[in-house]
This record gives sequence, structure tokens and C-alpha cells, in this order.
Amino acid sequence: MSGFRTAVVVASREIRERSRSKAYRITSILTVLIVLALIIVPSLFGDGTDRYTIGAVGNGNAEIIGAAEAIGNANVEDGADPAVELTLEAYADVSSGETAVQDGKVEALLVDGEKIITKSAGGFGSSSVVGLLQRGASTIRLEGLAAQDPEAAAQVVEILTNDALESVTLSGDDTDRESEGVIAYAGMLMLYIAILVYGTWILSGVTEEKTNRVVEVLLASVKPWQLLAGKIIGIGSLGLAQFGLTIIVAAVAIQATGTLDVPELPLASVVNLILWFALGFLVYAVLFAAAGSLASRMEDAQSTSLPITMLAIAAFFLSIITLDNPDGPVAVIGAFVPLTAPFVVPVRVALDAIPVWQYIVSIAIAAGSIVGLLLLAGRVYAGGLLQYGGRIRLRQAWRSASE
Amino acid sequence: MLVISDLHKSFGDIHALNGCSLSVQRGRMLGFLGPNGAGKTTTMRSIFGLISPDSGSVTWDGQELGSGERLGFGYMPEERGLYPKMRAHDQLSYMGRIHGLTKKEAADSASYWLDRLGLAERHDDAIEALSHGNQQRVQLAAALVHDPALLVLDEPFAGLDPIATETMSEVLDEQTAAGKAVVFSSHQLDLVEDICEDVAIINEGSIVVEGTVKALKDAAPIRHLEVDVDGDARALLETLEGVRSIEVEGSRHNVIIDASSDVRGFLGRAQEAGRLRHFSYTTPSLTDLFREAVQ
Repeated sequence: MSGFRTAVVVASREIRERSRSKAYRITSILTVLIVLALIIVPSLFGDGTDRYTIGAVGNGNAEIIGAAEAIGNANVEDGADPAVELTLEAYADVSSGETAVQDGKVEALLVDGEKIITKSAGGFGSSSVVGLLQRGASTIRLEGLAAQDPEAAAQVVEILTNDALESVTLSGDDTDRESEGVIAYAGMLMLYIAILVYGTWILSGVTEEKTNRVVEVLLASVKPWQLLAGKIIGIGSLGLAQFGLTIIVAAVAIQATGTLDVPELPLASVVNLILWFALGFLVYAVLFAAAGSLASRMEDAQSTSLPITMLAIAAFFLSIITLDNPDGPVAVIGAFVPLTAPFVVPVRVALDAIPVWQYIVSIAIAAGSIVGLLLLAGRVYAGGLLQYGGRIRLRQAWRSASE
Repeated sequence: MLVISDLHKSFGDIHALNGCSLSVQRGRMLGFLGPNGAGKTTTMRSIFGLISPDSGSVTWDGQELGSGERLGFGYMPEERGLYPKMRAHDQLSYMGRIHGLTKKEAADSASYWLDRLGLAERHDDAIEALSHGNQQRVQLAAALVHDPALLVLDEPFAGLDPIATETMSEVLDEQTAAGKAVVFSSHQLDLVEDICEDVAIINEGSIVVEGTVKALKDAAPIRHLEVDVDGDARALLETLEGVRSIEVEGSRHNVIIDASSDVRGFLGRAQEAGRLRHFSYTTPSLTDLFREAVQ
């Protein structure tokens, strides 16, 4: 019997038993429902239009509000919902208007087209409204000037509506490159989440055999690496199936509701992202399996796996650094370290900042280290096997296997 | 034939195995005895490579053991272990599969063993829903499902009720009759005496007694004398030479005596001492041999 066949038998047991469990079905359904709710519910309540009520005292306010609304909706396509809708609410005097601001009935109070009063300087919504109103007021004043000199006015409008400097990049990039960077970053975020969530599944799955003591019967006929590989493949595919299902549902929901604009990606980028997602997941999965083999109970597994969680967090931060400086020394070295490469290489690829040889070498190192780590973890597993009770020290397990 | 020769294994300062040598033949059942901590489990684990000995060897039909040979062995460890949520039939099929059976072979064999062990109605029950005794039966089936040539069972009778004990003995008998080599450890010496042809006693990491039960008993340097008599039995026993130990339960006296001692005439003296209810002079029981060996 070939070694891999046994790993497949182990993996298919994991898939059969776990997919049958209520816990798996319920978490899968719940995850999908929560993600759906996050996407659909906001779009039910809001139609993409921000609505504000603006208080007004005296004259000259309605023009400013009208101009601000026009600026806010400048980029909205014909027939689409407006981005901003401003409603004027008139007040007899400043003090009653101020009360309305204080009570939150109006977002801001305009006084005689000269002054704007808000509750405080901060706040997300109000500051953007204030900005719109300021630009509206500026436009009205420029129009006043323009009435006196139409030619100057045309120039002012020209300057205001376009970027003053022409933008050129040496690599001839367009904005697609930028959106690829964003997608790569989103990919890293998903890898990070998958590692932390499904890594824990593998961790507890490996500890399972020791907790219920099946391990002695198993290892009498199965090699440790076969058991570990089977567990990782089985639990990993179930986890990724759940993850993939969630992402597909989310993508369909986003398309249907039009909540987000998802840029289109070339096939090569998609393949690259999936390849590195798989490599990254496997590297960490093997580490989690090793951590699980050092523990004999779930409580201990949490502490043996802590260093791996920390590593994943550090590697994730490295991807942020790479995004800033994809050619820097951190990014170059990070591509050759199997634990950080999955977070670094896809970003560098997206930003077109990795030579082909580095790309190939980084894949070879990551794939090789998965096999190497699996054998090492198997040895630790065999060593820690018959030592029950609490955490097993790495050195102790190692030695016991070598004896 | 399984041959274990001169195994040594230390865990730190503890010498778990100290030159342990043992053989198990096809078609024979060996009872593997020894006090707690004598090295029984360590020896059995060595057969499956779960422990690598410091020195010594384990061979099967003259071959050094590799994972291929071990796939043809069945093991029931002292630490029982099954997946609690897995159904009995699935569990056994899985065990068959990892021992190299095809899907169909494994499923058929799992069904056969569940039926054979009286669990015909329980195929689809989760292990955790079974009683302790029934879990034990599934554990035995897990060792048998791939039709192994060698069965190694660590305390298979521990915790079984008389009915389950009988089933277990029957199965082991069948396996032996079918030409399998069977070795199991136990503390139930009466049972071992009943069902095993061969015994080996391990003490402090090495085998101190090995052979067929009958030959060992005949060759033993001791005999078992049992006397139940009204009157002063102690004075009576003092007339005997070579008494090694006396155990008293009411008026019944269990005496271990040198095989060379002359007990002729003792029956007559016992009858004179008072009403004699019971008198027997036999080869020692396995329990007697065991005590002699490990003291």
C-alpha cells in the first residue's frame, strides 16, 4: 500500500465524519447567513443615498444647499440614485436653529449664507456635509465673480474641475494596478482569517486522537506523517469548502445588491492568489498540526499553538509593509521565508515588483518546507504520542522519538 | 512465528526492559503475565514500533519488522481508544481500510465481526452510545477486522463480565485454531490457565518463566497441598518438611511445599488429628507459579 493512499483514507474519514456533524453544518449555515446579512441588510435600509437635513436662518442659504447637492452628485450616472440628498429646514432665529443642531435634528445650521454652525468639529457624516456646503458656497461666490468677467470664470471652473498637474508613471501603470494591489491585500486578509480559524480546527483535530486515545491503535499501522497529512487534507478541505462557499455567496450578494464595485482581475492574478492561498494555508496548517501533537488535551493545545498565531500576525503585518515598499529588503527576504512568503509574494506580484526567479524560488521553498515540516511534525507527534498529561516539551518529544 | 530477542529499553533511569526475550508461535496462544510495571506493555508496544528499543530485535518469520509486516498484525492496546462519535461499523471499516483492505472487504469484515461479537443490532450506533462491555467488543473487532496473522492484546479481559469473557475466550480459541499467533497479557491467572497452552512471566523487564502450562507445572519445584481439617492443623503441618508458605482461611490451609518433600503418611496423620473434610496434593496452580516467579 502506498503511503499516500493511507493519508487519503485518513482524510476521507475526516471529511465524512466532520461533514456529518451538526457543529459543522450549523457553523457553515450561520457563517453564510451572517455574511449575507452584512451585505444585504444595509442595502435594504439605504439605497446608496446619504440624506441630510440642513437648518437655515436668514437668506442666501437655499442656493448654497442646491450647489452643494449638485457637487455631491456630480459623478452619479444618469438614472441612478443620487449620492447625496440635502433638505432645507428653515428656522426663525439662530438660537432655535442651534437647539436643532444640538438635538441632532439637523446636521448643520447655515446663517445668512455666511456662517455654518455644527455640533462639534469631529464626526464622519457631518464633516463631509460641511465640506460639500463649503464647496457649494465657494461655487456661488465664484459665480458672483463670473458674472462680472465670464472669461475668468470659465478658467476658474476649468481649474476646479480638473487636476492641476498631469500624472505620468514611469512603468506606464494605470489604476488597474492599484486595484490589483487592493485585491492582493484582500486576499492576504482572507488567508490570515482562514489560517486563524481553520488552523484551530486542525489543532484540535490532531489533539483529538490523543484525547480519545485512538492514536496508539492508529500508529501501530499508520505512519505519523500519513496521519497528519490526512488530517490536514481532510480538515483543511472542509474548512476551505466552508470558506469558499461563504466567499461565493458574498460575491453573488455583492453583485446582486451592487454594494461594492469589484474590479475585474486577469486570470493569472487569480491563479497566483489561489496558489499562494493554498501554500500559505498548508504551511500554517502543518505548524498547527505539530502544535496539536505536542498537547494531549484541548486546553494545552491553545498554549502550544500561541507562537504560531503570533507568527501569523507578524507575517500579516509584513504584507502591509510590502504593500508600501514592494522592492524593499523586508519584501525581498520575506519572499524566501516560508512563513512570510504567502503574505509577501502575492502583494509583490500584484504590484509587479518581483523578478521571475525570486517567484519560482519562493514557491519551491514554500512547497519544500511543507513536506519538511510535515516530516518534522510527524516525528514530534510520534515522540509525544505516549506521553499523556499536560503539555509535552518540544525537546522531550524530539528526544523520545530519536531514542 | 514472532521472536522477540534481548530487548532493552530505558526511560531515563528506569529500565523498563532488561533483556526481554519471547516467542509466539502460529496456532498457539501465549498468556503474557507479570506484575504491574514489569514491562508487558512496553514489550507489546515494541512489536508495533510504538517504542524503539535501545537494543535487541523483533522478527516475524525471521524478518525484521517494517510497516508492511505490522499491517498484518492486530493490536488491542491497554489504553482503549475509539472515536466516540463514530458509528461502530464505520469505525471498523476505517480500521480495515488503514490496514490495506479495499472498501468492500473492510465493510464486509466489519459486518462479520459485529455480528460475530453479538452487536448485530448496533452497526449504526455511535461508540459513545454503547456500554463499556460493548465498546470493548468493538475494540477487539478493531484488532481482528483485517484478519491479522498475529494478535497482540493488552489486557483484553480487563473489565469484562462473565458472558463477555466467554465470548472473548471463544474468539481467541478460534483464532488460534485457525493458525494465528495470539499473545495477550492478563492478571486473571485462572483464566490464562484455562485457555492458554503457553505462558511467559515477565518480571523487572526480563522473562523469568516461559513454556507450556503443563510442562511448567510438572517441572515446578513446588507442589500445592490443600487441607481442611478440624483440630490443630498447625501442629500437623509442622510434621512436614519443605513448607514454603501457609495461607489460612478458617479451617482450610493452602500450603506451598517443596516438590521433593515426602507427603506419604501425611493423609493418615491428618485423619487422626480430627475430621478431615478436604485433602488435595497437586501440581501448583499458575497463581502459585506466578508468585514463586516474581517474589
